Amino acid sequence: MRDFQARSLSSQDRLRDEANSIAEDLQQQKAELFAEVTLKIRQSLQLKEILSTTVSEVQRILKADRVLIYQVLSDRTGKTISEAVLPNVQTILGSEFPEEVFPTNYQTLYAKGRVRAIADVNDPKSGVASCLVDFVTQFGIKAKLIVPIVITLNPNSEDQNNKLWGLLIAHHCQAPHDWSEFELELMQKLAHQIAIAISQGELLEHLEDIVTDRTAKLRQVNLESAKLRQVNLELQQEIAERKQTEDALRRSEEQLRSITNALPVLIAYVDAKQRYQFNNQAYEEWLGKSPESIRGKHLNQVWDCYDRMEAWVNRALAGEVVIYENEIQWIDGTSRSVSVTYIPHQEGQGKQQKIKGFFALITDISDRKAIERMKDEFISVVSHELRTPLTSIHSALKILATGRLGRLTSDGHQMLEIADENTDRLMRLVNGILDLQRIEAGAVTMNRQVCNAADLMVTATEAIQAMAQQYDVFLSTAPIEVEIWADADCIVQVLMNLLSNAIKFSSREGRIELTLSCRADQLQFEVRDWGPGIPPEQLERIFDRFYQVDSSDSRKKGGTGLGLTICRKIIEQHGGHLWVESVLGEGSRFIFTIPPLNYGELQQ
Amino acid sequence: MTEKCILIIDDDESIQTVVEFGLKMTAGWEVISASSGNEGISRAQADHPDMILLDVMMPEMDGLATFRALQLNDQTRSIPVILLTAKAQASEKRLFNDTGVSGVIIKPFNALELAEQICNVLNWAESSN
Repeated sequence: MRDFQARSLSSQDRLRDEANSIAEDLQQQKAELFAEVTLKIRQSLQLKEILSTTVSEVQRILKADRVLIYQVLSDRTGKTISEAVLPNVQTILGSEFPEEVFPTNYQTLYAKGRVRAIADVNDPKSGVASCLVDFVTQFGIKAKLIVPIVITLNPNSEDQNNKLWGLLIAHHCQAPHDWSEFELELMQKLAHQIAIAISQGELLEHLEDIVTDRTAKLRQVNLESAKLRQVNLELQQEIAERKQTEDALRRSEEQLRSITNALPVLIAYVDAKQRYQFNNQAYEEWLGKSPESIRGKHLNQVWDCYDRMEAWVNRALAGEVVIYENEIQWIDGTSRSVSVTYIPHQEGQGKQQKIKGFFALITDISDRKAIERMKDEFISVVSHELRTPLTSIHSALKILATGRLGRLTSDGHQMLEIADENTDRLMRLVNGILDLQRIEAGAVTMNRQVCNAADLMVTATEAIQAMAQQYDVFLSTAPIEVEIWADADCIVQVLMNLLSNAIKFSSREGRIELTLSCRADQLQFEVRDWGPGIPPEQLERIFDRFYQVDSSDSRKKGGTGLGLTICRKIIEQHGGHLWVESVLGEGSRFIFTIPPLNYGELQQ
Repeated sequence: MTEKCILIIDDDESIQTVVEFGLKMTAGWEVISASSGNEGISRAQADHPDMILLDVMMPEMDGLATFRALQLNDQTRSIPVILLTAKAQASEKRLFNDTGVSGVIIKPFNALELAEQICNVLNWAESSN
């Protein structure tokens, strides 16, 4: 008995040990199975792949007909997003279900971790609402196990909040099925793994969003940095260029100042208010006034002779380029002759044009003036000294030619005529040189009076008539009775010169006309001939002193080469102009103008 | 025309000669000469000519000084004086006319036309040989 009891006890112990061993093996197998499934699930970070692996593994292990993952959407509806199903079982992947299929109260319970195992959906004790029984049977469901997939929001915060993400569901469709603890445990653990994967996925997604966002921001920053670098580079380049320009400008200014300071002339810029804005160093050397002391001062504060300058300054500030001569006092107290040029500084065009000031250039012409005076005196003395012996020669020849001092042979007469003609020519030349020198030196002032143009025309024509007859040229005039304000002797001299030229250059039986036309602003005298004309390129040169169209003309025609030069000077002194218009082979028109008589000026 | 006595005062003897020849030949006038201002004044006082041709440019006493001296002398004041000058152009005669002389003849002149010019200036009746 004791033995039996002992053996019985021993057998019970063995059975208990075996049962324990089996339980330990099962536990070991379950642990290995979870580990295997978990490993498979965790091999991917992609949620879709995780879910697919999960349903496949669950379906395989539980030998269920259908395992699916139902995701609860934000509007409380739902959708089957992953499914593992046997080939002969209807698939419901992608099916969407209305809120009524999964009411809010159910969702709340599941969010709290509720697990629902239904062995037989048709069993009234199963607790499935009758309306849902029909719904589930249409998918052939006989038994189902529902495990929530719950994710924890704010896991590190005290204020943890569980959210029902979805459901892991297993179906048996062939027959009802009693769900074992193992099945429930497996489903729950895998649902938990899914929840972790989803959380990690969301975290990863969030992280990726953050990374994408940060990357985008970084790129933006990089882009902006690149832009900033480019702007910075451009700025540095601009600064370098500006510095280069400024250096070049400074060098240019220094160079310009060096040049202006080195030049032996006064150079200045005067603004519209007649104040100096620039002066070169010569102001100090000539006048003893430094550029710094003059800058900003009015002209009348610098020049004692401002009254002689003012009219010219006003003309420059009215936009006219003016050149005049003046006498200024030097630093040593001596007086110097200067040539002054003012060039207006204009800005804008047309009506927008504005005079900002003027540039002034003052040149010392004292030496030139002294030489000119010496030249004038020399010409004057020589001319005077020539005139007395010329009188003797000329008169002696004329007396000899009378034959009253003894008869000459014909050869003697010929020689006498040559001497006489050349004496005449020499006298004209001397008179011409003296006339020109006096006009240019300003020694001749026009003795202007009111005179009748017709009288002057007749006087000149009559005086030259004998010459016209000698050359067999017909001379006509159309005098007009009009009063002019002129030096009668000078105008007659001009008319005679032009007429005698026309006669000399006309062919025999040629024709010459002297006419006058009166216009509102001027009187125009014209001497017209039908001679050989003048080449276009020489139309202006014939007014140069000693210039002849044909160099042999002076000898052939007996001219001095000074007549037209003198005529132009005389007309210019009357405020008029003298010019020639000519066509080769058709003749020439010598025209000069005289301003009309101004009674207002006359009364003054 | 009655015979006239003309005094030529000019330091240039060739001028004296051609003037003498010209006036005698064209008008038959007697010509007396002086080579300086002082000599001319003496001759004018001594011979009392009908007119005086007076050169402007002369050394020591020039023509204008001589003219002023003649004007200051009662014996010569009434004698008409015509200046001979190379210092002016035809257009500048008036400058010398203002000095009070009877007239101005510009050098160079033609001695054969001189008598006519003198008659014109002094309003003498013209005559020629």
